[in-house]
Amino acid sequence: MKVSGSTSGPLAGIRVVELTKVWAGPYVGKLLTLLGAEVIRVESEKSLDVTRVFGVTDINDAPGFKAVNPQKLSVQVDMKSEQGIELIKKLVAKADIVVENLRPGAIERLGLGYESLQQVNPNVVYVAMSMWGNDGPLAYQTGYAPCFAALGGLSARIGYADEPPCGMNIRYADSTFGAYATLAALACLRHSKQGGGGQYVDVSAVESMSSIIGDAFVDFLSTHELPHPHGNRRRAMAPHGVWQCADGQWLSLAVTDDSNWQALAAIIGDEHLAADERFHTLAGRKCHEDELEQLIAAWCVKHSAESLEHLLQSAGIAALRSRNSLDLIADTGLWSRGLYVEVEDSRGQFKSTMSAPWVFERGATIHRSAPDLGQHNAYVLGDIIGLDQQQQQALVDAKIIC
Amino acid sequence: MSQGALNGLRIIELAESVAGEYCGKLLAALGADVIKVERPTTGSPTRTLAPHAPGVAALESSAMFAYLNLGKSSISLDLERESAALATLLAGADGLIDDHNQGWLERLGVDPSMLEKDFPNLVVSSITPFGYGAADAPNTVVDMNLFHASGWGYHTPSASDPQRPPLSGPGPHLASFEAGLDAALAMAAGLLSLEQVGQGQFIDVSMQAVLVSRNDYVIAQMVAGDMPVGDDRHAFDLSGPAGIFECRQGFVYLWMSSPQHWQALGELMGQPAWMLEFPERWLEQACTPERVTLCRQHLSAWLHGEDRNDISAKAQSLGLTMVPVNDPADLVASEQYQHRGYFQHSEHIALTSDRVPGHPFQLSTTPVASGGTAPLLGQHNHRLTDPWTPRSRVASEGQWLHVRSACRHTCG
Repeated sequence: MKVSGSTSGPLAGIRVVELTKVWAGPYVGKLLTLLGAEVIRVESEKSLDVTRVFGVTDINDAPGFKAVNPQKLSVQVDMKSEQGIELIKKLVAKADIVVENLRPGAIERLGLGYESLQQVNPNVVYVAMSMWGNDGPLAYQTGYAPCFAALGGLSARIGYADEPPCGMNIRYADSTFGAYATLAALACLRHSKQGGGGQYVDVSAVESMSSIIGDAFVDFLSTHELPHPHGNRRRAMAPHGVWQCADGQWLSLAVTDDSNWQALAAIIGDEHLAADERFHTLAGRKCHEDELEQLIAAWCVKHSAESLEHLLQSAGIAALRSRNSLDLIADTGLWSRGLYVEVEDSRGQFKSTMSAPWVFERGATIHRSAPDLGQHNAYVLGDIIGLDQQQQQALVDAKIIC
Repeated sequence: MSQGALNGLRIIELAESVAGEYCGKLLAALGADVIKVERPTTGSPTRTLAPHAPGVAALESSAMFAYLNLGKSSISLDLERESAALATLLAGADGLIDDHNQGWLERLGVDPSMLEKDFPNLVVSSITPFGYGAADAPNTVVDMNLFHASGWGYHTPSASDPQRPPLSGPGPHLASFEAGLDAALAMAAGLLSLEQVGQGQFIDVSMQAVLVSRNDYVIAQMVAGDMPVGDDRHAFDLSGPAGIFECRQGFVYLWMSSPQHWQALGELMGQPAWMLEFPERWLEQACTPERVTLCRQHLSAWLHGEDRNDISAKAQSLGLTMVPVNDPADLVASEQYQHRGYFQHSEHIALTSDRVPGHPFQLSTTPVASGGTAPLLGQHNHRLTDPWTPRSRVASEGQWLHVRSACRHTCG
């Protein structure tokens, strides 16, 4: 059975072994898949991923699992058995990258830490992902995505003026963490392919959150001023905010400089506004931001968001409607660039899913949905590891493949 | 630069905003030789970004520039007049980063459709708001607009009051940082492929698509028809009493989703009477809005008197996921960050503290570059005349003649 990874894309021919859970780790595998790598998830009935079971009746038709694992392969191995660990080592010997995001210390206790895997494959790039990183006084702690955002300084930056911070939407953090891990993995893979050998890559979720708002730290280290939530206001622009329109929709609108303000004032069409010296400069608009925002609010509420977006865009003013979930899946631009694609599952059913946000001139294409549990046992155990059918059956009988 | 994972690879950065400069910064940290091309006299527009060091010439006083361009070289070049010099640079490079609107590269003579002919060994990472070739897309946007074009805006914060405006993310640059990160990882993949198969290519990175893809767990389910879509501001949310609570000083974030969490909370609070009114498995099976509100009220009243760090540590020891809400001061002082060396030392006239935030990964044999600095405008103009051969490949004889004559032409 030839089911292996893509034969196209920048990572064609690269093999990845995933010992991961939930979202951040699998997101690394997903990005590598979308770049053309063959990505194998090691799974077991004994420790099913929560996204295969949470709120679903069929582990092979789990919407959350399918969202982050298209095109991957699945092999069942009991990681709590000695024979299972030996099998995984044989697989890693034939792989380029290993990704793990189990609880701190868990992978070492299984005997699959970097020291062990390096012995079977000195060229392997080993990506370890954890909340705080692999060392330091807090390395033992675990948490979920909104914890990463709170700890890393991101949540404190979001909130309504003069109120406690409220943080970003709860779904944020895992994928950004995964993207940083992917970047590091690819750089190390390049080094390995140049003959530099494999290495240990230690990625921190909390540090990922700090890094994606590097400007917050640059500000603080320069000014020693702490960020206070300012709603939608920003230091360098005014107005800069989100206003409700006649149709109930929200419009994000920013004026980038003084001439841009004159353009907006002309569109609003109030002579007094264009002439009002309080608003001629950024400093003036910041100083009178409350009055300014009242004017914008009163104007927006008389028009539909769509008409304002069109009108303001044609005048070179940064304004876009705030997109809801229906808008997102109906976005023709996202469909036409292939962010959404159709994939086929093991039962021959076609469904749409999400592909990559970048388009390579010679990219990989995905066409398969996420794998059923153990769907690729025969390929992985036979074609890659080299076991014959009898040997494979013995492993099933011994419940190593389960 | 010694021992970087991307050593020997040369990247030309034509980008002039946060997205492309962050992309270049990441690649430089990983060992690539990143040459930034800037406008003569004024330099990159990011040199005007706040904060500015007091008493330093305006062009060299931006701490943000010093952060975003750490470890790069700077060449000042009038691209419209010196197209031969640009061709020289590109002929000797492995990668190109750009973040201008569509059409800008063509005007410089770097037409993506002609790459295969003109620069067959170049990997181009192009960052645009809605993607290259998105002809009908809006062309005037700031990061906030993209945040709202991606769904993150409409659904932030979680459990929002639909009467109040949605919020615009953590600071002014999230869309740019995220797009820069993906452009860097795409570039790394493209460079790997270049060295394996000897062919460059164009990579089109859409800032909007990057932000949308960061919520693939939810939006892929929506596009598959497995989750409802519509105008609900809570469409991305998970139900439950999780959230940020005020403490004596500062805030904590509390997550609760399982009976074990509920039990741990009882232990931590000393089994208060109000908790007995709740069904034991309510978080999983009976999570009504009324119970969530009531639970949040009790938690608020209790946590108001607690120290955020002490109570978080106690909660953690009981298996309850509670963490302090940190701000930059907390993290600059954090023992954990100090232990990991998260903040990098960098001496630059724009950096009053000699420190900048580093990177969230540690590589055992090719550590991230440390101790570097950002270039002054045109500091490395001598590199225009450097005769170099990229290690990743050998240029054809004809190409090198072209390079040499271009060097003589532009540099005298």
